[in-house]
Amino acid sequence: MNLGIDEYTDLDSPFHRWDPRYKIVGLITLVFAFSFIRDLRMLLAVAVATITIYGISRLPAGYIAKRFRYPSFFLLAIVLSLPFLSGEHVLMSLGPIALRQEGLLATILIATRFSCILIVGMILLGTTPLLTNIKAVRTIGLPDIMADMALLAFRYLQEIGRDLRNMQTSMRLRGFRDRRFSPRGLKTLAWLSGSLLIYSYERSESIYKAMVLRGYGQAPPRQSEFQANKKDALILVAIILAAAGFIIGDLMLGHSTSTLLQ
Amino acid sequence: MHIPDGILPLSVTGSGYAATTLTTWYSIRKIRQKEDPRQDIPKASLLTAAFFIASWIHIPVPPTSVHLVLNGLLGALLGYYAFPAILIGLFFQAIMFGHGGLTTLGVNAMIMGLPALIAHHIFRLRKWRNSDGQKKTGAFGFLSGVVATGISVAMFVIILLTNLPAEINIVSERTAVYALAIAHIPVIFIEGTITALVTVFIRKVRPGILDGV
Repeated sequence: MNLGIDEYTDLDSPFHRWDPRYKIVGLITLVFAFSFIRDLRMLLAVAVATITIYGISRLPAGYIAKRFRYPSFFLLAIVLSLPFLSGEHVLMSLGPIALRQEGLLATILIATRFSCILIVGMILLGTTPLLTNIKAVRTIGLPDIMADMALLAFRYLQEIGRDLRNMQTSMRLRGFRDRRFSPRGLKTLAWLSGSLLIYSYERSESIYKAMVLRGYGQAPPRQSEFQANKKDALILVAIILAAAGFIIGDLMLGHSTSTLLQ
Repeated sequence: MHIPDGILPLSVTGSGYAATTLTTWYSIRKIRQKEDPRQDIPKASLLTAAFFIASWIHIPVPPTSVHLVLNGLLGALLGYYAFPAILIGLFFQAIMFGHGGLTTLGVNAMIMGLPALIAHHIFRLRKWRNSDGQKKTGAFGFLSGVVATGISVAMFVIILLTNLPAEINIVSERTAVYALAIAHIPVIFIEGTITALVTVFIRKVRPGILDGV
């Protein structure tokens, strides 16, 4: 199982060099500001800003294309349904099918907001290793229990994924085929899930013993490995001002999807 | 049943994060009341990873196949660890595969996590009158799976349909609600059956896990 999440974290760009704690606060603020936008003119500004910062991050276009694979099914469903189901003003009709203005505008709004948030999220996650991000979130308030759970779960994802693949291969070699629904097949798949859970539970017992031997729960809290400078703080201020600017701009323009066409 | 970024307004995504923060705080408070909460962290973490992987198992439902949600089973086995586990699992799903999103993480955590906590309490009822037979484990496992998935589906449909940016006419909305609800009925019963079968299997092989972490 190749998670491929840290593939481009060793590149060099202002986003790669930015202190992860500041980056998390700044970019999360930005994506929440994006979710506030409803005016189509402001949406255009958001799209331009997103493309610009993606260019600055030096992440390749293929990285983002890979991430769009699954969500694109959802987008397709929205594009195919909303413009025809939602709204009163008919722009065009062909027999029983009518293209409606409100639905079309809502589709543009959803698709653009969705794409921009996804891209900024990928900049956040694609320019810092995931483990560093989890440690950074811990320093800004994530409870220790959650940080430890996230670090350990991530550490063992690939191994448990390999266990599942091995079990499925063994089942196929013994003649199991899961193409048809049957009560017997359902029972076998439940046992597969149960075996995976039991195997992981048993493994966790030896992991806990190894962790205790290495001083887990005994060592004094470590000093933060992050050190921010003035430049990190300035970038954060710039991003927060940009986020505030988008919200204020949207409010001034009316905060309405249909403003442009009124 | 993951709501992606871009659909919900800031008021809903913000409320989702607030509700998730509150529920996580409550869950962690409950976890810290244990004698040694750190002892259970590796178990809860590895089970979180195993649930994440197990959700890739596809069940054939002609003409397509469905993947497991397992939030009822998660609640039954992990207790109060279930909510943080779901939050972590949803975060990994959002960043690795684009299922869900960063702004909707709070809302999705409530959709999946709150029913898991309810399932935990339902599953605990099997010990009522100090008996915990195989049939009782299976019955309460089934109930946990059905209730958890059923509540998740209901929350997902209501949040999605009441927050679309444009007004959908009432007939279309009613049709969409019925279509989504009917499409999920087999999934709800499959989840209940799988939860029942897995809890009975675990009871036979490693009963200690059912006492919770």
